[in-house]
Amino acid sequence: MSDVAISTRGLRKTYRTRRGRKVVAVQGLDLEVPSGGVHGFLGPNGSGKTTSIRMLLGLVRADAGTMTVFGRPVPAQLPEVVGRIGAIVESPKFFPAFTGQKNLELLAEAIGAPRARVGEVLERTSLGERGKDRFRAYSLGMKQRLAIAATLLKEPDLLIFDEPTNGLDPAGIREIRETMRALGEQGKTVLVSSHILAEVEQVADTVSIIGHGRLLASGTVAEVIGGGTAPTVKVAVNNHEAATRILTAAGMTVRADGNYLLVEGAPDPADVTRRLAHQELYVSELAPVRADLESVFLELTEGEGL
Amino acid sequence: MIRLTKVELRRLMARRLTAVGLAGLFLITILLLVATWFDSQPLSAAEERQAQQQYEMAHKDWVEHAEEMRTQCEADWKTQPNPKPKLEEMCSYSEPKPGDFGKPPTVFAQIMPDLLHGSSYFLAFAAFLIGASFLGAEFSSGAIGNWLTFEPRRLRVYGSKLLAAATGFVPIAAVVLAVILIGTFLIVDRLGDTASTTGKVWGDLSAIGGRAVVTTALAAALGSVVGLLLRHTAAAIGVVMAYLVLAEGVFAAFLEKAQPWLVKLNFDAFVRHDAQYYVTECKSGSDGSYACDYVQKTLSFEHGAWYLAIFTVVVVLLGGWVFHRRDVN
Ligand SMILES: Nc1ncnc2c1ncn2[C@@H]1O[C@H](COP(=O)(O)OP(=O)(O)O)[C@@H](O)[C@H]1O
Ligand SMILES: [Mg+2]
Repeated sequence: MSDVAISTRGLRKTYRTRRGRKVVAVQGLDLEVPSGGVHGFLGPNGSGKTTSIRMLLGLVRADAGTMTVFGRPVPAQLPEVVGRIGAIVESPKFFPAFTGQKNLELLAEAIGAPRARVGEVLERTSLGERGKDRFRAYSLGMKQRLAIAATLLKEPDLLIFDEPTNGLDPAGIREIRETMRALGEQGKTVLVSSHILAEVEQVADTVSIIGHGRLLASGTVAEVIGGGTAPTVKVAVNNHEAATRILTAAGMTVRADGNYLLVEGAPDPADVTRRLAHQELYVSELAPVRADLESVFLELTEGEGL
Repeated sequence: MIRLTKVELRRLMARRLTAVGLAGLFLITILLLVATWFDSQPLSAAEERQAQQQYEMAHKDWVEHAEEMRTQCEADWKTQPNPKPKLEEMCSYSEPKPGDFGKPPTVFAQIMPDLLHGSSYFLAFAAFLIGASFLGAEFSSGAIGNWLTFEPRRLRVYGSKLLAAATGFVPIAAVVLAVILIGTFLIVDRLGDTASTTGKVWGDLSAIGGRAVVTTALAAALGSVVGLLLRHTAAAIGVVMAYLVLAEGVFAAFLEKAQPWLVKLNFDAFVRHDAQYYVTECKSGSDGSYACDYVQKTLSFEHGAWYLAIFTVVVVLLGGWVFHRRDVN
C-alpha cells in the first residue's frame, strides 16, 4: 500500500448558481492524506470541504486539478478503488420508504456482497432489530449508524465522514468519535471533515486546514498547533512585579493575564519554577497553555477575509 | 450491468407507488371488463318484444306503401335539375330487416382492437408515472448520491435503471392485456358473437397487444428519463400534462398539419398499424368559390414505429449525457 491514501493537486471547482453567478468552491486545493489513522479536514462552513469530498468520490466534476486515491487517478480509475472507500457525504441519504435493512440489501446486492453481511453490519452498528423500520422513521443518530453500516458492507480501507456529528446529541457524538478512533487504530484511513475544531482535535492524528477552498496548513495536530515555538505557560505567583523582572531578565516574555502571568519563551516550564524559587518566589500554579486549533485557525484564516 | 438491473428491478417492485399503480391497473382492468359485460347484455324480453313490434310495423308499412312511394319518387326524379342523382340511390325503398331493429349483438372481433388500444393508453400512462417516480424520488431524496459511492460507473447505473423500468413493465403489460383480451372473449362468448373470430383476427389482436407491451415499456423508460432530468416526480407529471394540453391539444387543433409529428398520432399508428387523422383542406375554385373539406388521412405504421424509435433513442441519449455530466449533491 502506498503511504498516501489521498492526494489532490490544484483541485478546482466553480459552481454556477441558478442566477448564473459563479461561486468558486475549491480553488487549487493541494491535499495529502497519509495512509492509516484519522485525518481531520478542517474549515469553516462554505470553505469547500464537502465539494472536495464529492470530487474525490466522482459525484462532482472537477474543473481542474488531479486527484489520486490509493495511488490511482480518480475519477478515471475510481471504479477500481471505490470498493475500498466508504463515504458518508453530508447527512446520510437512503430510500426513505424502505427499511434500513432493505436499503442495505439493495446496496449489498449491487456490489455483490453476500446478503448475510447485512445482518452482520446491522449488529455491528447496534441497529439490529431497528433494521426492520423504515429509514424515514430513524433518528439522526440511527441514520448515521445505518450509513456507517452501509460503508462496512465493503470492508473499506478508507472512510470518509463529512461532518458526521452535525446535529447529533452528545452520546451520539461520542459514539461516532469512538468509531472513528477505533477504525483509525485498526489501520484504516479515516478522513473526517468538520468545522468544529475541538472535535477533530480529539480524534485526529493529522489535520489539514482549508479556507476559501485553499489549503492553509497541514501536518500532525502538534505541528499545526505548536507551530514549532516553545509553549506558553500560565503561572500563579504572589509578587507579579518581582516575578516579571526575574523572568524577563532570563530572556522570557511575560504578560499579565488577570491573576496569572503568561510566560513565553521558557525552554522548559521547570525553568520558570526554578528561577522563581531561587528568589524565594513560590509558584502556586503552573500550567502549559496549549495554543488550540481554534486560535491557530483564527490566525490562519485572518488574512483570508473569512 | 445484469446484477445492477436485477437490483433495480427489485427496488422497482418494492416501491409503494409501484404497488399502488399495479392495484390501479388491476382496478381499471376489472372496470373495463364490467363495462364490457354491461354493454354486451342482450335486450330484455320486453325490449325485444318492442323491437319486434316496431319491425313488424315498419315491414307492414313497406309492404303497403313501397310501390306507391317508388312511383312517386320516379316522377320527382324526372323533374330534378342536372346533374341528377342516380335513380337507384334516390328511390330505393329496401325491405326492412329484423336486424335493423333492437340491439345488434356485440362482436368480439369488432370491439377488441379498440379495447386493446385504449388499454395501451392507461398502461403507458401508468408506466410513465411509475418510471418518473422511480428515478425522480431517487434524486429528490438524495439516495442517488449514496448509490453512486457504491457504483460510480454512471452509464451502467443509468442503463440499469432504464432497463429495469422497461423490462419490469413487460410482464405487467402482458398480463393486463391478456386479462382484458381473454376476459372480453369469455364475456362476449356468452353474451355476443365470437363466431367471426378467425385465426387472422387472433393474429391481429395479438399483434396490437404485443405492440402495446412495447409502448408500455418505452413509456416506462421515457418516464424514468424525464424523472431523472427533472429530479422530481411531480415535475415530470407536470411536464407531461403541459405537453398533452399544449402540444397535443392546442397546437394540434390550430396546426392540423403538424399532427403526424406529435407523439399521440404516432403512438396510435404504431399500436393500431396505421392511424387515421383529419385535416381541413380549403380550395378556392376557378370560379372564385372557396370551399373547405374535412379530409381523412392515414399515418402509416412505419412512420409511427420510426418516430417512436427515434424519439426514444434521442431522449435516452439525452438523459444519459446529462446524467453522465451532472454534479450529484
Ligand atoms: N450545488 C451547488 N451550487 C452552487 N454553489 C454551491 C453548491 N454546493 C456548494 N456550493 C458553494 O460552494 C462553496 C463550498 O461549499 P461546500 O463545499 O459545501 O463547503 P463546506 O462543506 O466546507 O461547508 C459554498 O460557497 C457553497 O455555497
Ligand atoms: Mg459541508
